[in-house]
Amino acid sequence: MDVKTVKDVAKFAHIELTDEELEKYCKDLSDIMEYFELLNEAPECNERGVNPILVEDILRDDIPKVEYDSDALLRDMDTYERYVRGPRLS
Amino acid sequence: MTMNDTMKDLKAINAKYLMFHAMTDDTDAGDAKFLFSTKDNLTSNDMETCAGSRILEGYRPAFDADCIAKLRKAGGKLVGKCNMDEFGFGTFSTNSGFEIPRNPFDLERACGGSSGGSACAASVIEDHVSLGVSTGGSISCPASFCGVYGLTPTYGRVSRFGLIDYGNSLDKIGVISQKATDLKKYMTVIAGKDERDPTSMVQPEFRTAYRKMKSVAVPKEGIEGLSKEVEATFKKALEQLIAMGVDVDYVDMPSLKYAMPAYYVLATSEASTNLARYVGMRYGHQEGDHSLKFDDYFTSVRSKYFGDEAKRRILLGTFTRMAGFGGRHYAKAREVRQVIIKDYKSILETHDAVLAPTMPFTAPRFDEISKMSALDSYKADYLTVPANIAGIPHMSVPCGYDSNGMPVGMQFVADHWNEDILFSIAEDWEKQFDLRRPEVSI
Repeated sequence: MDVKTVKDVAKFAHIELTDEELEKYCKDLSDIMEYFELLNEAPECNERGVNPILVEDILRDDIPKVEYDSDALLRDMDTYERYVRGPRLS
Repeated sequence: MTMNDTMKDLKAINAKYLMFHAMTDDTDAGDAKFLFSTKDNLTSNDMETCAGSRILEGYRPAFDADCIAKLRKAGGKLVGKCNMDEFGFGTFSTNSGFEIPRNPFDLERACGGSSGGSACAASVIEDHVSLGVSTGGSISCPASFCGVYGLTPTYGRVSRFGLIDYGNSLDKIGVISQKATDLKKYMTVIAGKDERDPTSMVQPEFRTAYRKMKSVAVPKEGIEGLSKEVEATFKKALEQLIAMGVDVDYVDMPSLKYAMPAYYVLATSEASTNLARYVGMRYGHQEGDHSLKFDDYFTSVRSKYFGDEAKRRILLGTFTRMAGFGGRHYAKAREVRQVIIKDYKSILETHDAVLAPTMPFTAPRFDEISKMSALDSYKADYLTVPANIAGIPHMSVPCGYDSNGMPVGMQFVADHWNEDILFSIAEDWEKQFDLRRPEVSI
């Protein structure tokens, strides 16, 4: 993986890297991706289940309920008039 | 030693072994029937929950994880939240934003990971049970390094409501204890359906009746690359199993070698999406500069508080999810998972379990770990990852000690939903195995 790819991936993942980190992750990720090439030799299979077990027929009706005290949920959040504070959008 | 004696010593024990990140201030057990601890990625309404990450520092959940609620209801007292690799990202519990637990048999060595604090607690505290969470081997590995029993049940057996996710198609909550009999006892409490975790809703009945293990298959690929002492100890354990009336056969399982890369592709892909929620709002640190644009705000908080291995896995997972080069690996990794499941099931048609050492070496020293590359550390998981990617139950059982007195573990792997045969062999093994307890002087 080259420096540009790692930079692009980091930007996409919302991680800012120092030059030192960039160099380190470039080397680590290249080593790891090279090792992953082993997957090309693996036998093929026409199944690609998402879970290791079959998960089906589990849908249920939504039943509205209040399980938690909203004050408890807001307890440690940075709030303004019970709204969670965040950065500006533009 | 009574429970109250244990409660009085708890702070001093923790000061020596650093197994807890958060712990109770109580010095007596009240009317509790038993004491327990859990890995710190399970939410608890009375203790800070950080999952080993500084980004979650200060997070106090408003609710208990389902498994913690069940243990409390059964009379358990939660005494501590155990140190771990950040979000479960590690093999030695050294990738933590907080304290690094010390091995009960040698303080200069690691406990294994990522449920290292849990295995440490189970080893050094008398009559203690600790909950661990395994994504790629995070119960078996520390159980092996700390000389205790560790069960990872079938994927979906225990509700994950209240678990801080690492990899949703891989995470499993299990039990660690010095006593094999405890594993069944406490698994019976935490197993079961919970509509808040859909993957728990398809499970069949949880069987616990004794069922003698008659045969095991040892994959030739599972005994390659071992340290000499682990190899010799494992061979002796096989002789002992034969003496106990268990048939031992050697088999080929060539797909095992693909499990490690497939696992890391799937696990990091899932982790990178799960960790997208930590942006300096709602949980943990929220003191970023709100005058920044939202992208810059999120980036500033994430870059400051995620640790080295978390950043590495986020980058790796983000890349493997991208279309093209990375995405090709993701599709292949999902195929490899199915191949491995088929191979296990084929062997388990004629054998009760698949058996190999849990880890290729005993607990390494911290100075040895600091010299390992990221890839070296990933490769150390090659024996625990296959059962985890397949979601099948497995148990690490202490089977001997090396010349430094460090524990060696072996791992039995059974078919989906067959935890009962693992409990049975562990209890049979326990009756004849001379388990060493660490000397806990405080």
